[in-house]
Amino acid sequence: MAKTKIAAPSAASYRRRQMLITLLPLLALGVLFAALCAVVSTKGYRLDMYLEIIFNEGVVLAIVATGAIFIYTLGSFDISLGASTLFSAALGVQTYNATGSLPLMILVIFAVAIGCSLLSSVLASVFHIPVFVTTVAMMSVLSAIAAQIITTYGGALGGISIPGEVVKPLDKPWIKIVILIAFAALCVFIFNFTKIGRRQKFLGGNPVCAQLTGIDLNKYAIIAFVMAGLGVGIGAFLTLVYTPSVNTGTASSIGMNIIVAIVFGGMPISGGARSRIYAALVGGFSYILLNNILMLLIEGNAGYGISQIISAVFFLAVVYVTGINYRTQTLPR
Amino acid sequence: MNNVLKKAAGALAIPVIVAVVLNVLCALGGRAMLASKTSFDNFVVYTAIVMITTMALSINLNSGRFDFSLGAMAVLSAVIGAKLSYVLLAGGPGSATLMLVLTVLAGAVLGLCSGGLYVLLRIPPIITSLGVTLIYEGITYTITGGRYMMTEVQNADMAAFAGNWYWGLLIIVAVLAGIIVLFDHTRFGVDYRALKEGQRVSVNTGIREVPNALGCYAVCGALMGIVGFLNAARNTNINGGSLSFGSIGIMFTAFLPMFIGGYISRWCNEKIGYLLAALCMSMLNSTFAVYANQVNASMQSIINAVLLVLFLIYLNNEYRIASFFKGPRAQRKAAQG
Repeated sequence: MAKTKIAAPSAASYRRRQMLITLLPLLALGVLFAALCAVVSTKGYRLDMYLEIIFNEGVVLAIVATGAIFIYTLGSFDISLGASTLFSAALGVQTYNATGSLPLMILVIFAVAIGCSLLSSVLASVFHIPVFVTTVAMMSVLSAIAAQIITTYGGALGGISIPGEVVKPLDKPWIKIVILIAFAALCVFIFNFTKIGRRQKFLGGNPVCAQLTGIDLNKYAIIAFVMAGLGVGIGAFLTLVYTPSVNTGTASSIGMNIIVAIVFGGMPISGGARSRIYAALVGGFSYILLNNILMLLIEGNAGYGISQIISAVFFLAVVYVTGINYRTQTLPR
Repeated sequence: MNNVLKKAAGALAIPVIVAVVLNVLCALGGRAMLASKTSFDNFVVYTAIVMITTMALSINLNSGRFDFSLGAMAVLSAVIGAKLSYVLLAGGPGSATLMLVLTVLAGAVLGLCSGGLYVLLRIPPIITSLGVTLIYEGITYTITGGRYMMTEVQNADMAAFAGNWYWGLLIIVAVLAGIIVLFDHTRFGVDYRALKEGQRVSVNTGIREVPNALGCYAVCGALMGIVGFLNAARNTNINGGSLSFGSIGIMFTAFLPMFIGGYISRWCNEKIGYLLAALCMSMLNSTFAVYANQVNASMQSIINAVLLVLFLIYLNNEYRIASFFKGPRAQRKAAQG
C-alpha cells in the first residue's frame, strides 16, 4: 500500500513533465513570435514586412522538413535535401526557359526531386551503402551538377532565372498556406492513420525487432525517401515562386537546417515512437523566427556570427531540456 | 616471409593501381603528374591534410559518434593560432612553427570543449556537433568579421613551410607515429577499442568512458588544428566567412579515403591504410591539376562522389560480386550467409 502511495504522485508528476516537454516547442514558438512582434515594434519597423519574410523563409523549411520527418523517423538522416532542392529548382528553371511551359516546369521539379530521393534510397537499400554516406555523396553530386548548370547558363556571379511574371500570380500567402496545410495533412494522415507511419516508428525505435516481425525495412525506407522527395519538390517550387532565380547558394543550408528544425520541434533525431509531424512545422518556423529576432537585435556585420552563436546555444538548450527524461548510463551514440 | 609479402602486396595493390592508371592518364594528356617541385610540395601537403582529416573523422565515427564540427574546429583553431602568432612575432622568423604549435593547442582545447559539451549534456553526438559547428563558425565569423584572414598568414616563414615538402613529410611521420602509439600501444587505445566494440560491456567492466571520449575529442581537435594550419599555409589565407554549416565541406573530403583506408587495413595497420588512401587521393588531386582546364571544381566533386559510391557498392557487396564469378554453388552460399 505504502509503495502505491509513493508511486502515484511520481507517475503523475512524470506525466505532467512529459506534457510540459511535449508542449514546450509550441510554447517556444509562441514566445518567439511575441518576441519578434515586440522587437520589430520597438525598432519601429514594419511588422507585416517582417512577417512576410519569415513566412516565406519558414514555409520552405517547414515543408521540406515535414517530408524529411519520414526519413528521420527511421533513425536515418539525409543531408542532401538542400542540394536536391537546388538541383530540382535549377532543372525547373532550365525546363521553363527551354519550353515556356509552367506545368512542365512543375512536373520536372517534382520528378527530379522524387527521382533524387529514390536514387538515394535505392543506393542505400539495394546496394547496402550506409545512408549517411549515400546522402553525403548525393549532396556533392547534386550541388556540383547544379553549380555547373548555373555557371554555364547564368555566369559565375549571377544565376539562372525565369521571368518574374510567370510565378508572380502564385506568390500569395494564402496559396502557400493552402499548400502547407495540404502537405502537412497528407503527412499526418500517412504518419498517424496508416500502417506506414506505425511501421516506420517501429523500425526507427527497434529495427531488429521490427524486421523480425516481418516488416520490410527497404520498402519503408523507399516510401520515406519518396515522401521527403515530395517535400523537396514543393520546397523547390515555392523557392522559385518567392524568388524566380536560382544561384549556387539557393537552399544551400536547408539540409542541415532541417535537422535543427526537427530537434527544435521536440523530436528526437534518433526517430522511433516519439517522432511527430508537427515537430517539423513548429521547429521550422521557430528556427527562422529566432534567426530573424537575433538579426534584428544584433545589427552590423558581426551580428551574423553572434546571432548564430546564440541560436546554437538555444538549440542545444532545447535539445537538453526535451531529452532530459531519456538519459542513459552510457554516453549516447 | 610469404605472409609478409602477401600483406605488403595486398596493402600496396590499390595505391599502385591508382598510381599506374593516373600516370597513364596524365601521360595521355602529355604531362607528368608531378612535373615540378611546386606540384610535389603540394602533393605532400595535400597527402598530410587528407590523412590527418581522415584520422580525425574516423576516431569518433568508428565509435558511432558523428562529428560535423571537424571543419569548424580546423578553421577556428587556425584563426586563433594565426592571430596569436602574429601578435607575438608579427610574421617574423619562427612564425610558422609558433602558429603550428598554437593552432594544435587551440584545436585540442576546442575539441575538448566539444567533447565536454557532449559528455555534460548527454545528448547524441550528432546533435552536439551541429550546435558546436554553429558556435565555432559564429566565433570565427565574429573574430574575422566574415573576411579572409591574409596578413597573419602571408609571411616568408609560412611560404617556406608550404614550399618545402619535407615539412609536410615530417608532419605525416610525426602524426602517424603519434596516433599509432596512442591508439595501439597505450591503455587509452585499448580502452578506446573496447568501448568501440562493446560500449555497455566495457563500461560494466570498469572502463571509464567519459575520460576516453574526452581524450578522443581532444585528439581530433588537435589533428584538425594541424589541418587548419596546413590549409592556411597552402592557401595563404583563412576563410573566416563560413556560416550556416559552410565549414562541413572540409570533413567530406575524408569519406572516400576513410573507406579506402579501412579496406587497405585488412593487410596492414589501419592508420597506415589511411596514409595509403591519402596518397591515392593526393594523386587524384594532382591529376585534376594536370587537367585543370578540362576538369573544373564541380566536375572534381562529381568524380570524387561517384568514386565514393562505386567503392562503397563494391565494399558492401564484395561477397556477392565474388560469388557471382565463382558460380551458382558459391552464390547460394553467399545468399545464405
